Amino acid sequence: MNIFKTVLKILNKNKFIVILYSVILISFGGINMSSNETVDNFVATKPDIYIINNDVNKGITKNLIKYLSDNCNIVKLKDNEEAINDALFYRDANYIIYIPQGFREDFLSGKVDEIEIKSSGDYQSSFAGMILERYIKVAASFQGISDNEDDIIKGINETLSKKAKVNVVSKLDTSGMNRATVYYNFASYSILACLVYIICLILSSFKKPEIQRRTTISSSNYKSINRKLLASNSMLSVILWAVYVIVSFILIGSTMSSKHGAIYILNLLVFTICATTIAFFIGNLVNNKEAISGIVNVIALGSSFLCGAFVPMEYLPEGVLKAAHVLPSYYFIKSNEIVKTMEAVDSDALKPVFENMGILLIFSLLFVVLTNVVSRKKACS
Amino acid sequence: MENIIEISNLTKIYSELKAVDDLSFNVKEGEILGLLGPNGSGKSTTMNCLLSLIKYNEGTIKIFGKKMSPDSYDIKAKIGVVFQDVAVFEELSVYDNIDYFCGLYIKDKKTRAEYVEDAIKLVGLEDYKKFYPKKLSGGLLRRLNIACGIAHKPKLILLDEPTVAVDPQSRNNILDGIKKLRDEGATIIYTTHYMEEVEILCDRVIIIDKGKLLASGTTDELKKLARIEEKITIEVGKVDEKYIDIIKSWDSVEKVSLNANLLVITYSEGKNNLGNIMDYLNKEKIKYNKVYSERPTLNDVFLELTGKELRD
Repeated sequence: MNIFKTVLKILNKNKFIVILYSVILISFGGINMSSNETVDNFVATKPDIYIINNDVNKGITKNLIKYLSDNCNIVKLKDNEEAINDALFYRDANYIIYIPQGFREDFLSGKVDEIEIKSSGDYQSSFAGMILERYIKVAASFQGISDNEDDIIKGINETLSKKAKVNVVSKLDTSGMNRATVYYNFASYSILACLVYIICLILSSFKKPEIQRRTTISSSNYKSINRKLLASNSMLSVILWAVYVIVSFILIGSTMSSKHGAIYILNLLVFTICATTIAFFIGNLVNNKEAISGIVNVIALGSSFLCGAFVPMEYLPEGVLKAAHVLPSYYFIKSNEIVKTMEAVDSDALKPVFENMGILLIFSLLFVVLTNVVSRKKACS
Repeated sequence: MENIIEISNLTKIYSELKAVDDLSFNVKEGEILGLLGPNGSGKSTTMNCLLSLIKYNEGTIKIFGKKMSPDSYDIKAKIGVVFQDVAVFEELSVYDNIDYFCGLYIKDKKTRAEYVEDAIKLVGLEDYKKFYPKKLSGGLLRRLNIACGIAHKPKLILLDEPTVAVDPQSRNNILDGIKKLRDEGATIIYTTHYMEEVEILCDRVIIIDKGKLLASGTTDELKKLARIEEKITIEVGKVDEKYIDIIKSWDSVEKVSLNANLLVITYSEGKNNLGNIMDYLNKEKIKYNKVYSERPTLNDVFLELTGKELRD
């Protein structure tokens, strides 16, 4: 109790910096979530193309140009190669189509001429290529069916105008889940950074060499002192976790009241326990108050970058993700990503999440043991 | 009286340096033992070995009849230590600091509150209970440091230079406090550089240098070891070397030195030494100004035993 009281008094003496630091980091979580607003509707884009028609503007050739005009933006360029190359380089056009002379005549005689193209090489040009290929393939399938060019054109246009209706049947609130995932993933930074900073600040008073020596020669067992210190600091961790959760209810809303929300909250609690033991271990290693900020940057920022707190996991290189397996943040973020796409909350779906929580608790135990080893070594050195 | 501490053949080696070399001594119940030695003599290493803060290479240490180890919490409960460096929380007030450190030993709140008040009274910090360490002067801070170390009423107290850089008022207060602790039955090991404190406080003194025990005994016993009965210091003008040689040849004179204008003569025995030297100076018409006659100090003993000053 005496240790708990002392922890509170040290916190009280540093309350301004502690509150400021916590508010800033939790606010960052909210800002980060807001800047990652997800898109929930889609509009097809049109690539910019330029057509050089060396054939007659009649029949099947005219129909090809019309189809391309309907599905792409036709840009105006000077009709010389230098201007065309510049347009591709500066992305004024994504795709240049050269319709060869005699295209129509050859088509009607059962031959499909090769159409020369130039491409900017980006995804827009690939899309333009797909549109052109689609037309040519459909047109080729109508070759020979009729001798009448109008019938062929009619058949091509009917086929190309068919559209499939797609209904998304998922009941997942994807927008809310995305917001929650971004917010909670960011917690691996804000909670870890906050706890490392505050716990190191508290422990730096307890672990000053003179005070440490006085504690070592006392009749209190170092394990018992560590237990009491960890328990006292855990109170602080629970408060921080609760604040983070309350803010998530305010910012995200109804998603947090769902079963998915409960898993996010539970996962964060387990991570907070783990982060407390990490901070406690670091606090036992470091005595210098001035070094705390640097340590926070290395530990919290480093692990958060590697594990996907800032950049989604799917964009991280495989090698980075493999290396991240040794960091607790990885298992926390991975669980959040699983919850994001979880259709049904049942035991099968939750199994990998609970496994990750188990790994986090094993990490916690490991750090508690390491802390006791360090304390023992320091006491006898 | 029973031995509270028994140290036998203690040896501690750092790399190639023997910090403590086959050191043996006992501390009896209720006594104040002065531990003297220059910087680097092995005092702190001996203290650290005693408290199991460091491992030693050879020897045994028994405290209260039991072998001391890092896990001897029953022994540690009866020991109080005041280190030279002030060890207090800057974030806690005077009262809370003493309460915290006392709480490492005394779990019962009521008893602890009484002990904390007693400690505050002992070091004279009644008017500063709510002060934070930053607001205290060096002397008051040292008093707080002592209160934190002894608040749990230990039976054995180790004090490592508790009066370094302390104002006279605080020093007197601290020395009075130490005497009170002894009167209440505590056994005390006291290390210091201040000879006058040792002479006032200590029942017995141990002198160590280079990790070895040089001498032990009461202050009077140690002074006898130095073979000095009296030291006379005279401020003189110019003195010819031949007069110094004559003084040196006198039977009772142990040593004569002339540094700057100070002629220092030490005598192994003394009957009318001052009168004799005055008569001689007058006879030879050697001019002199101030004359001091003093009994030998522990520093003289130390100088005699080691060839160097205690503060070297």
